[in-house]
Amino acid sequence: MKKIATVLFIFLVSVALYASDNTQLLKQVDRNLNPESFESYRKLINIEPNGREKEFVLFTVKKGKDKIAALFISPASEKGRSTLRLDENMWLYIPNVGKPVRITSLQSVVGGVFNNSDILRLDYAEEYDVVEVEDLGEEYLLHLKAKTNSVAYDKLRMWADKKKSLPNKIECLTEASMLIKTIYFKQIKDFGGGIIRPSVIETDSPLHQGYKSVMIFAGIKQREFKDEVFTLPFLPNLESLR
Amino acid sequence: MRSITLYFILVNLLVSGLLAQEEHTFDLSEIEKKPFQFGGYLEFRPVLFGLNRDSRLYELKFYDLEEGKTIAEYNFNALLDASYEKGIFRAKIRTNTDITKSFSGWTHNTTLYEALLSVNPSLSFHLDIGKKRMKWGKGYAWNPVAFIDRPKNPNDPELALEGYVVLSMDYIKSFQGKLKTISFTPFLLPVNEHINSTFGKPNQLNFGGKLYFLFYDTDIDLLFLSGGSMPARYGIDFARNITSNFEIHGEFAYIPDYNKKIIQADDTVGEEKYSSVNYLLGIRFLTKTNTTFFFEYLKNGNGYTSYELENFYSLIDQAYQSYLLSGDDSQLEFLSGAASQTYRTFAPVQDYLYIRISQKEPWNILYFIPSFTSIINLTDNSFSLTPELLYNPFTNLELRAKMTILFGKDGSEFGEKQNDLRLEFRGRYYF
Repeated sequence: MKKIATVLFIFLVSVALYASDNTQLLKQVDRNLNPESFESYRKLINIEPNGREKEFVLFTVKKGKDKIAALFISPASEKGRSTLRLDENMWLYIPNVGKPVRITSLQSVVGGVFNNSDILRLDYAEEYDVVEVEDLGEEYLLHLKAKTNSVAYDKLRMWADKKKSLPNKIECLTEASMLIKTIYFKQIKDFGGGIIRPSVIETDSPLHQGYKSVMIFAGIKQREFKDEVFTLPFLPNLESLR
Repeated sequence: MRSITLYFILVNLLVSGLLAQEEHTFDLSEIEKKPFQFGGYLEFRPVLFGLNRDSRLYELKFYDLEEGKTIAEYNFNALLDASYEKGIFRAKIRTNTDITKSFSGWTHNTTLYEALLSVNPSLSFHLDIGKKRMKWGKGYAWNPVAFIDRPKNPNDPELALEGYVVLSMDYIKSFQGKLKTISFTPFLLPVNEHINSTFGKPNQLNFGGKLYFLFYDTDIDLLFLSGGSMPARYGIDFARNITSNFEIHGEFAYIPDYNKKIIQADDTVGEEKYSSVNYLLGIRFLTKTNTTFFFEYLKNGNGYTSYELENFYSLIDQAYQSYLLSGDDSQLEFLSGAASQTYRTFAPVQDYLYIRISQKEPWNILYFIPSFTSIINLTDNSFSLTPELLYNPFTNLELRAKMTILFGKDGSEFGEKQNDLRLEFRGRYYF
């Protein structure tokens, strides 16, 4: 009986340590992508099969695990719009409409393949548990499962570079393992302040054949913010942080 | 030879396409912040009205005109924004210019929508003085708790509107835990013959405020207005996501001493005083196929009963018959003037349902949103139907086409409107 209990204990401890290592690996990927609190400038480009393109430029601020806000700087038709995410709550502020309205992670404020959860992304380790890690030689393949039903994608498959602990590719899947979109991380760049990460993120989707969306980072730097920045009353004043 | 030429053209297009894709760049110099900013939009909006020549409101407006079955209107609009920022100070101005060619000729009007000086001494404290919109409430089509905003047009709720001159401040405080945010927004709103003269009774200093909480992932506002220009009023609103794709919101307003203006048979405007309760309940639901369903119910306690509205239509009828017999239009003129402030608001009666179904980017057509909107008067079962197409073919260019058809029996709200069909196109260019 004692032997069985000992074996069971060792097994449970091993499982816990394995899970802890895997979670640590995902957290390392998160930290290498960006500091926990930062500001950044991003250009989003939607590319249609006929070559037509539309660009959006966003100023983004993030604090801690669950606070992120973004302000549209261009084009003129979107200028002044801003979005806020506090954990699972998301709002969109449109200057003409005035009051912020609640939006969902599955919607897209820019159209195209990127949705709101891609644009207002929190750390992967905040939204996903690591179910399994496969060793593929130069890469790890992390199988991630959403912690709650409110997360946009139920499952992720993340191919991460072993040496750099940065993602190369992520597949976003439904609960039934249907592929929704694939995200490619490209062109690693030194942004200064110890932030070395992909500067271009591309995405395509079998649901939108021939369409592609690209996100280019021009600047990421660590910056601390007061919590009051991430509130509805402050949303019309995000521009003052630039 | 032709196939070789075609081949080279295709290769050239392919290579240039690939090169174009490689050329995506983004440099911080592109987004350098400038202290002075200028922008806005220019708009052209032709409208064709199909007139309901048997309706009471047609009699009221067109009693001495013969305009046929349709009238066209051409609207040119410019909304201009300018701002200047220096340190903790920011000045902002917004003007709206309308130029209209209608059956009555050319008209033009420029209105100062906003003119504001803001001071931000800290992230928690914000002070505004000048003309601005307070934008209270959570509803999309109507806002019973928007005590100090001009009423939105439920047929076009996202239109920019004129503000009022106020002195207001925001104090924001964040917390950890279930209560995440509290903010307090008190304001002063003076009314005299020069400032805010349309707000209400003159020579009064009105005051009020909004207390906002983000509590258990629910937005909650407590609001009030007092001061004398209009009866004091108190309100609460909320919004919450039940699931990531299902949102509920609501507003409740209570006016203990509301004065409803009622046009009497002797051509006077009487007042009925009572406690008015107004509320709105709404839901928004997004499907996996990107279809959004939007429902709002409005209980408008300030509104008229069907009986009161039918009485008003009877008065128009009597005035019109009197005009036909005697040529005296004074009663029609009186009704036209009095009615524009009371009976012809965006929600004149007491029970409404707003339904909007929109489909984002169907058939993979980016920036294309067809939608269908209906506003139903639940008291008399009259309603409007509005199919709409919205498309952005190029950056900063927005095209919208919509058609509104009104249905209702004689004596009903939508059945007695001056037009029963409205075709509208809108081209808007942002800069």
